[in-house]
Amino acid sequence: MGTDMSTFTSLDARASSSVSPAPVPRRRRRPAFIRHIGLTVFALFVLYPLIWLVISSFKPAHLILSDTSIIPDRMTVENYRSGWTALNRPFWVFFANSLIVALGAIVGNIFSCSLTSYALARLHFRMRNIYFGIVLVSVMLPMHVMIIPQYIVFSKLGLVNTFVPLVLPKFLATDAFFIFLMVQFIRGIPRELDQAAMLDGAGPFKTFFYIILPLMTPALVTTTIFTFIWTWNDFFTPLIYLTKVQIMTVPIALRTMVDAESTLGIGELLAMSVLSLVPIMLFFAFAQKYLVRGIATTGLK
Amino acid sequence: MLTRRNLFTFCALSGLAASAGSLSACSGVGGGDAGASGSTTVRYAWWGSAARQTAYTKAIDAFKQHYPAIGVEPEFAEYTAYQVRMTTQMAAKNVAEVFWIPSAQVLTYAKNGLYRNLDDVQTLKWEDYSKTEIEGFKLDGKLNTLPFGIFTPVFRYSQTYADAAGLTLPADGAGWTWDSLAELAVTYAKNNKDKRWAFVYNPDADLPFEAWLRQHGEQLWTQDGKIGFTADTTAAWFDWWLKLVKAGAVPTPAQQNGMAPLWATIGKSVLGIFGNSNHIIDDAKSFPDQKFTLRHVPVMASPAAGHQFLYFPRVAMYANTDKVKVEAAGQLMNQQGNVTDFLKIVGMTMGAPTNPRVAKEAEAFATDNEKQMLKIVADDRGETRKPRYEAPAGTNSWRAIMARTVEALALGQKTPQDAAKGMISEIQTGIDRA
Amino acid sequence: MTSALAAPKRTGGYHLARQGKAAHVFLVPWLVGFLGITTIPMLASLYLAFTNYNVLAEPNFIGPANFIRIAGDERFWHSVRVTLLYVLFGVPLQLGFALFLALILDKGIRGLTLYRSAFYLPSLLGGSVAIAILWREIFGQDGLVDKFLGLFGIHASSWLQNPDMALWTLILLHVWTFGSPMIIFLAGLRQIPDDLYESARVDGATTLQQFRSITIPLLTPIILFNLVLQTIGAFQSFTQAAVVSGGTGGPVDSTLFYTLYLYQQGFVNFDMGYASALAWVLLVFIGILTAIQFSLSKYWVFYGD
Repeated sequence: MGTDMSTFTSLDARASSSVSPAPVPRRRRRPAFIRHIGLTVFALFVLYPLIWLVISSFKPAHLILSDTSIIPDRMTVENYRSGWTALNRPFWVFFANSLIVALGAIVGNIFSCSLTSYALARLHFRMRNIYFGIVLVSVMLPMHVMIIPQYIVFSKLGLVNTFVPLVLPKFLATDAFFIFLMVQFIRGIPRELDQAAMLDGAGPFKTFFYIILPLMTPALVTTTIFTFIWTWNDFFTPLIYLTKVQIMTVPIALRTMVDAESTLGIGELLAMSVLSLVPIMLFFAFAQKYLVRGIATTGLK
Repeated sequence: MLTRRNLFTFCALSGLAASAGSLSACSGVGGGDAGASGSTTVRYAWWGSAARQTAYTKAIDAFKQHYPAIGVEPEFAEYTAYQVRMTTQMAAKNVAEVFWIPSAQVLTYAKNGLYRNLDDVQTLKWEDYSKTEIEGFKLDGKLNTLPFGIFTPVFRYSQTYADAAGLTLPADGAGWTWDSLAELAVTYAKNNKDKRWAFVYNPDADLPFEAWLRQHGEQLWTQDGKIGFTADTTAAWFDWWLKLVKAGAVPTPAQQNGMAPLWATIGKSVLGIFGNSNHIIDDAKSFPDQKFTLRHVPVMASPAAGHQFLYFPRVAMYANTDKVKVEAAGQLMNQQGNVTDFLKIVGMTMGAPTNPRVAKEAEAFATDNEKQMLKIVADDRGETRKPRYEAPAGTNSWRAIMARTVEALALGQKTPQDAAKGMISEIQTGIDRA
Repeated sequence: MTSALAAPKRTGGYHLARQGKAAHVFLVPWLVGFLGITTIPMLASLYLAFTNYNVLAEPNFIGPANFIRIAGDERFWHSVRVTLLYVLFGVPLQLGFALFLALILDKGIRGLTLYRSAFYLPSLLGGSVAIAILWREIFGQDGLVDKFLGLFGIHASSWLQNPDMALWTLILLHVWTFGSPMIIFLAGLRQIPDDLYESARVDGATTLQQFRSITIPLLTPIILFNLVLQTIGAFQSFTQAAVVSGGTGGPVDSTLFYTLYLYQQGFVNFDMGYASALAWVLLVFIGILTAIQFSLSKYWVFYGD
């Protein structure tokens, strides 16, 4: 699995102090320091392209592609200024649209996928394996061939140019990725808890709501984070369903900023791309705090 | 096991779900562009970059001032995204009333009845065009598209760079042939101080390629929808380019960062580039302190007669347009093709105006580069030209096939003869399948 | 298992039946969604795979002609090779990094939030057009890598334009976005209860032993999840190749991913029948592969239930 065993020998200071009587303080500080250095260097490598992106967005447009140095000669906020209104309306319109879709998708996914995954992971019934198989298979078909039939359906229902085709499927558990994710998480929760609850007279619903749901918080948080980011970055579906500029989402707006045949608008594209990273970064920073350890089982025993 | 508590939670969740769902049905924030109440709304679909979107939106606003009873719903996207969206709309039979036609799809759409005939649209005027020209616009005898621009093949180069190297290009005529350009290119590349190449490697530029074919007496497509060129002529074209690459006058795809490199990056490393007459307008903006000159492409020693040609980007009306909207849509198309004020706002990035009267009036406000383009187009327009036929159904990706072929060519994976034969057979397969 | 602990009054059968009913109540959203939104398009595309549907006209049934054509299609086989290479190298590398970093970051270290965000940032750029520009600046002619190698006197020309190297830049792009599975691994690690580690420590287990007998086994369901879904996702990878190669499939088809080829056939050539056939071939292949992954999983995956 690519893990470096040597790093773990003194990861947990408490563990080493309680197990080995050898003097710990000197050993404790050095590896932590090395770890930080290693992580920082690696992080810089990983982030370099993004740093370039941010800095380039502050370069005058015609210098962006010709001058690849990381330290710009000239800085300007022109790209942000003109990019903000590049499509005849302030860019926050697109942020707002993306936000509505993303939030709707999150609520939808949390609601429908948790219900579905609980049934598939915990309840015994004849069709279970078949349903699970179907869930998996539905991820395997490339969306390009499903998109036209789906579009036809929504078009006949007159739902083009609304957010319904983008959000409604989330309320109907169409994101098999999260169903499967939650199933795996639930299966990691010991059955004893369910059984204890059942002995107390709780049915499947109570068990689901009071025991399983709280214990799968990491999965729910992960679902939230990923749904937000994927919906925010989704290009194909909004492209097809949203043709009016005022309800476009961010990726479509970004894509119209650069034409394949010319390089006008590169500065604006980079500027708005950087800007559109901000909400997702904020959301992620906010949400990951909830990736805490699952509630310790001791309390429930 | 639906206790009261469970029921309550379930309902709360569903209520939340429902409200989020209804929230999603609303059409988002931001002002709309629909027309005044009681008006007909026409959807208008076009492509381009943000700059073009701004220009056209302004023009549409001006149009709406003029015709307050007509609402225009713009559907704008970048070129590839436009085609994806069109495809799904075609499948669902809800294409916009007025839409631009991607070049390779003109006949495919026609064959499948996507266009509405335009003869009976009262608001769309044809008075400014001669009978011959109108005949030239027809596809399969039907007047169902409106050309709204003209492209011709050109060779564009930086006057600034040429002057810096003390270079004068031969004037049009006997001195301006493919061979003389080749010689010049090699000399320039060898001697210029800035180590520039002569021009970009783009044998897949469709208009210059078509010019080559027509000069050799062939054509791109025949009237009955077949391939109009031979492997030999194509191989000669490939050969011409390959020699220049080998001589270092033209970069390899690797050296120029791919086929179709971004002009802003490659522009400073080349003297010139083959392309379409309208490219200069946007491209020049990447190098504001340079002067560019537009030239006709070189002409071989004894070219076939009538080899010049014009390419028209076209706009059409959807066949399933509601009867009540036809005249409104026609009005919009008329604006696009025949009204000078519209052109003034959107500029000439989609080529010289097809309407001769508008073209004349455009001289008054054309920029220098636009004037160059107008002149080059007028030259070609004034010649007696052999007819030109659009790409038949099934040739949707002929340009991609050509790009791949010339890439393999430059990498030495194929000889010009093999490359030409392979390309033709691949395109033919596409046509056969349609 | 349940029967052993079921309350004495209830029989196993009755319990099962009630679970079945309850299950179907839970599954209502999914059933509606599946039947309404997924099944119809899936069945439609299956039907279309046997037609010559060209988007503009009505589809005509042509039997297995599309599939026969696939078998003899050179570009199809090429795209299969490209995609297989991409999956074979991209998935393990990406998951390896993800797991490695997750394990390092799981122990409370200072700046955890910062590191986690830093490593996740690349995944946020997704299929943005900005990626194309970025990747060109790094791997293109006179790009960063070029200049870097130049310091050592190595002069390779543009990686992106080199048919032998272009795919590797995309594999690298995939590995660069390891933040996604890393977060999932982190969530999985978080779910391992502390008291398991406590009791192990009390029993005198070393960190290594804890890692081997607690962390890894309890993480295996998540490892399986990431493995299966990243594989499925990698086989369907589209956006990054499309954006970096401009939709062409890179220099001479060297980055022609399977779904990119499918997209070209469907949306550029309007050959939706053929594209649907390609989609179903992919589905069958992925299905078989996933089934293999699942059946092998019982040898190494440990479930708490």
